[in-house]
Amino acid sequence: GLKRLHLGNCVLSMNYQEMRNEFLEIKGYVQAEDGNLDKRILKSSEALQDTKPTERCCFFRHLLRFYLDRVFKNYQTTNHHIRRKVSSLANSFLGIKKELRLCHDHMICHCGEEAKKKYTQILSHFEELDAQTAVVKALGELDILLRWIEKT
Amino acid sequence: DAAAILPAPLDLSVHSINMKHILTWSPVIVPGKIVNYSVEYQGEYERYYTSSTWIPSSWCSSISTPECNVTDDITATVAYNFRVRATLGNQSSAWSTLKELFNRNSTILTSPRMKMSKDGYHLIVEFEDLGPYFEFNVTYWRKSPNSQVLYKIVREGGSLVHLETMEAGAEYCVKAQTIVEVIERSSAFNQVECVIAQDESPLL
Repeated sequence: GLKRLHLGNCVLSMNYQEMRNEFLEIKGYVQAEDGNLDKRILKSSEALQDTKPTERCCFFRHLLRFYLDRVFKNYQTTNHHIRRKVSSLANSFLGIKKELRLCHDHMICHCGEEAKKKYTQILSHFEELDAQTAVVKALGELDILLRWIEKT
Repeated sequence: DAAAILPAPLDLSVHSINMKHILTWSPVIVPGKIVNYSVEYQGEYERYYTSSTWIPSSWCSSISTPECNVTDDITATVAYNFRVRATLGNQSSAWSTLKELFNRNSTILTSPRMKMSKDGYHLIVEFEDLGPYFEFNVTYWRKSPNSQVLYKIVREGGSLVHLETMEAGAEYCVKAQTIVEVIERSSAFNQVECVIAQDESPLL
């Protein structure tokens, strides 16, 4: 069903179970493509649930934008089934981002130092890798992001 | 140009009831020939982030009937577009698209079919299985002065659910509606149904 995500004063509901099911359908395939297992992009030091509540909304917005702009868009596959699942996740992320916009418009999505620092860290982990390797790893690490969401 | 000979399918539209989404269109008629169709879709993401790419539908890549179950393609609550083209041999028509985009939150939610039964003094209810998105909000009460209205959420259809242990000879009434959380909507309540519990069985 729906999960209530508490991001400081911003509370939104998202189809978490549906997204989890969609990811589980591609997890094995995508994680098998990742040949660089000793590297991580989403590290526990940057976990969403450990972020100051007042900055979670902003940090989460950054994460959504990161996946929408840098990951889903650049993931290439000839496998139609995988492509449909990635499209489904991308469109769900877009739906959440639109809902988050309301919090931003109501000035309850404050961006502070912590959110900026954590997002910069994630971006640098991502940019250390070559482009396609980074995209594949980030997509496989949706596992981690979904767990952060579950704990938030 | 061979493609232009075959007319494009017309009147594309999505009919959605209880989160089952069917795309239909007017058939392309070529006397004595079987025309096939291919369906593709795009969500809002594809329109805005990947310069309007299209994705082959899960089940309709070369079909001969003018309809396609697109339920498995629509898995987010954003606006989707569909396109269909006809093919005959090596000829393909132009693509046709929806006049209006489709969002699953516009699906028609019917009130649930409900079966009530008694097992001795136990009031049992069963709902039709409408799929993974559906829960049932059940409201029930004993028909007597200042009786309390009770509520129960049934998480899935297709199985017997014990509602209440009834008192001998009392009448109990039930009504229900479906709830679809992912689109944050619910159906109208169905017709109230009542049953009377059996009288006390005489001591042997």
